[in-house]
Amino acid sequence: MSASTARALDLVSCHSCMKLTEQDLQVCPRCGSDLHPRKADSLNRTMALLITSCLLYIPANLLPIMVTEQFGRTSENTIISGVLVLIKNGSIPIAAIIFFASVVIPLGKLAILFYLCWTVKFGSKISSRQRTLTYRVTETVGKWSMIDVFVVAILAALVHLGGILSVHPGEAGLAFAGVVVLTMLAAKSFDPRLIWDRDVLTNE
Amino acid sequence: MGSQMHINRDDLVGRDHFIACPSCDHLADLSSMAEGDRASCSHCGHLLCVLHRAGLNRVMAWSSSALIFLLLACSFPFLSFESSGLKNVMTLPMTVVRLYQQDMPDLAILIAGFIILIPAMVLLLLFNLATTLAYGRYNPWTNVMCRFVFQLQGWSMVEVFFIGVLISLVKLGKTATIVTGLSFWAYAAFSICFILAITGFDRLQAWRRIGELQEAG
Repeated sequence: MSASTARALDLVSCHSCMKLTEQDLQVCPRCGSDLHPRKADSLNRTMALLITSCLLYIPANLLPIMVTEQFGRTSENTIISGVLVLIKNGSIPIAAIIFFASVVIPLGKLAILFYLCWTVKFGSKISSRQRTLTYRVTETVGKWSMIDVFVVAILAALVHLGGILSVHPGEAGLAFAGVVVLTMLAAKSFDPRLIWDRDVLTNE
Repeated sequence: MGSQMHINRDDLVGRDHFIACPSCDHLADLSSMAEGDRASCSHCGHLLCVLHRAGLNRVMAWSSSALIFLLLACSFPFLSFESSGLKNVMTLPMTVVRLYQQDMPDLAILIAGFIILIPAMVLLLLFNLATTLAYGRYNPWTNVMCRFVFQLQGWSMVEVFFIGVLISLVKLGKTATIVTGLSFWAYAAFSICFILAITGFDRLQAWRRIGELQEAG
């Protein structure tokens, strides 16, 4: 098992062009990127970004994401209250999509990445293959949480009839976009090969 | 594809058909791959490489069409909204401009990047790279562009935005009249061409081509 990884043979795979080279090289001979056997300082960076996005997720949910102005009356909606309004109006499928994109995906992503960092340190009963697959899914699904911010931006541009009816974006939009960007960065700085390194260690 | 093997370490270095999986670091032998094949890692299932047939020509075609559709999508009415006798017509850049006017310049820049600027940059780079590699005109900038295009790709949210548009349509459709404009359809076509352009440009295939050109030149 251990003999079939690049690290076991003292080789490095370039993160940019995938070229396999000697471990003592600093720069990839094909594409010129810096070579690292693993992503630099992966766990610390991932954890730092995860904690920041957790903090930012609080204002993203407490502040209004959308302000509606109708005949001089203004009503503010947070992400959750927006979902509840949609349910009350009977738009269950849309409420489900928004809830999934703005609550389930970001929270699930945070939980999974925290868990993966933890298993790299302390091991896990779940197989490395399964955990790598979970990581890949988290990484691809991440940007879909931007849906709600996009919907608000579109509504703000579209529903604009002066004092009669208009929609304005709320402060939570920026906080939420921050959560999405930070969790995407966290997923990118996590190195799934660390999951497998532990297998190699325990097998030896 | 990508079978496990016991190999002499010295056989590996400088032989481009051996790669290590970026997900799990296990080595894979891609020497038996032919055009049209795709290879996945036998340990973790990660997709390693797709050798597209006439890949570069397709990338040229899809990226140039996507650029034209994006230009169209930015120049005509996107959606129009009608309620109580009043009408508001919106263009695609208006989504960004309105945020900017509402004192949210940071969010405006972020969204402009995700839905227009980054995709446009990715397409220009892809078109440039595909033509350079297809006609064998390698220069030192090719490396920089190729590294950059794969880093940028992950930050385009074209398809996410399009689903957002569809949700807005359904959300407002009950209470007001929404009419889709020319740009709406142009953006739909742009999304499809964009996705075909980026999936048609395989990382390993592109870098191997660059490697060939480096050795030749």
